[in-house]
Amino acid sequence: MQGLATEMAPSPSVVIPHFVFAAVSFFILSLLLLFSGEAMTGYFIQPQILALTHIAALGWGTMIIFGALYQLIPVVFEVPLYSEGLAKTTFWTFGVGIVLMVYSFWTGSFGILLSISGSIVFIVLMMFTYNVFRSTQKSKKKNIQSLFVKTSTIWLGLTALVGLLLALNYKYAFLTPSHLLYLKMHAHMGLAGWFLMLIMGVGATLIPMFLVSHQVSDKNLKFAYYFTNIGLVILMIDWLLLHGSMFIPVWGIIITAGIVFFISFVAQSYKKRIRKVLDIGMKHTMLSVFSLVLPIILGLFASSKFIEFDMDFYYRIVLLYGFSLFFVFITSIILGQTYKTIPFIIWLVEYKALVGKTKTPLPKELYSEKLSEWQFYFYIASIVSLITGILLANHYVIEFGAILLLVTAILYNINVFKIVLHKAKPVGSKKA
Amino acid sequence: MKTAEEIKNTEAQIWNILKFVMDPEVEVNIVDLGLIYKVAYDGKGKVDIEMTLSTPACPIGDAIMLNVKEAINAQLPDLEVIVNLVFDPPWTPEMVSEEGKVILGM
Repeated sequence: MQGLATEMAPSPSVVIPHFVFAAVSFFILSLLLLFSGEAMTGYFIQPQILALTHIAALGWGTMIIFGALYQLIPVVFEVPLYSEGLAKTTFWTFGVGIVLMVYSFWTGSFGILLSISGSIVFIVLMMFTYNVFRSTQKSKKKNIQSLFVKTSTIWLGLTALVGLLLALNYKYAFLTPSHLLYLKMHAHMGLAGWFLMLIMGVGATLIPMFLVSHQVSDKNLKFAYYFTNIGLVILMIDWLLLHGSMFIPVWGIIITAGIVFFISFVAQSYKKRIRKVLDIGMKHTMLSVFSLVLPIILGLFASSKFIEFDMDFYYRIVLLYGFSLFFVFITSIILGQTYKTIPFIIWLVEYKALVGKTKTPLPKELYSEKLSEWQFYFYIASIVSLITGILLANHYVIEFGAILLLVTAILYNINVFKIVLHKAKPVGSKKA
Repeated sequence: MKTAEEIKNTEAQIWNILKFVMDPEVEVNIVDLGLIYKVAYDGKGKVDIEMTLSTPACPIGDAIMLNVKEAINAQLPDLEVIVNLVFDPPWTPEMVSEEGKVILGM
């Protein structure tokens, strides 16, 4: 049987803890945001904002991507995961590293604790990269999607390396010419190299699959891959060697071109879809992909040296740039794809032996659809108020948005736990 | 050995059974989705099912195939069910039945 993805899927005990950790991180993230209203109206490199960024990037985004990727490696590469044991060790060590790192940022302990947690996270990310590379080595699948995923893990490794240097620099101050330059590199490697590249690769596989779209040409994906990577590499070289030349917006435009090619691939899949009605999972996904327009505009705007900004306004633009990537692009796709992933994993565990023998529920019946719809509406309301609040530098509006986001996180958590704790019951014997 | 008519009847019965096997993601049964290419009953004890998936990467493919087997055996326990997965010809949206198109809103 031509190597079906499910036969090579890792054990759910490898995958599921990542989703639980991420869901709880998202809850804590929105809770911390509620207490950071003041910080969100000023300069962006502050302890609280660094804590928020790292719980979002690591505890929420990266953690869930690790779990999802272990499940998706067989789908994208048609090979099993190299080591489940390594994946489990990676998970636990990562958990400890994230807690320590977020704690040291939040409390402003930029000394030894940050160096230790930075080193732990660095090692963890290397372990993950190793596991992915050993898995993909055996893969005969050489398509653009797998190239995206492999490249993204290289960027993840580089992000971790620069991150570690930054953490050590707080204590030993050796980076020249400026800490800020390396911070920019770290942020963009992480956001565009790791998250964007990975989401593009995985999205290119899953979006047409879930929309049941056919004959979508992958020409746009190839352009997306080359433009984004070439732009990003030049941008890094510029920052490293020229310390930020006047051509930064040009490199930004090259990256933008790549993103536009990706968006047009998704738009084509959307047009050719045979499933006309979008479920919550796909609504969140579409919102995420098309929201990329926002950071593109903000990024080009902020990097242009021809526009004179007053400093306050510049900070808001940069903050909004980061916000739109973390809280809209990354968060929305995760909020949606969770519903396309774990219900199926748990459904296969609980019902595979029962299919055909007794009536089994659909995977989507493992969670409350009503709650997931409310989650979507609260989420939309929360990002609208948070964006407004940041633009106006009004911490009341930000706090209001944070409360809405907290409700979103609670609804999301209820559903995640409902799915994860689901036990097989024949349909009819329980209230649906 | 069954007569040609009996074979035809059993095959029709199997097609009907398969109408109750759902693709859990798309939420349309696999017959209307056009995933079943062939049902061939040999008149003795064996039935060959030729089917495809909407994408080879389908993460729930083997659950659907298992479902096909179990659903047939639940009603025709003496039949040996062989499920052959093929991707040639590849599935296209044109294979969706009129009924399926209504459900999908095509």
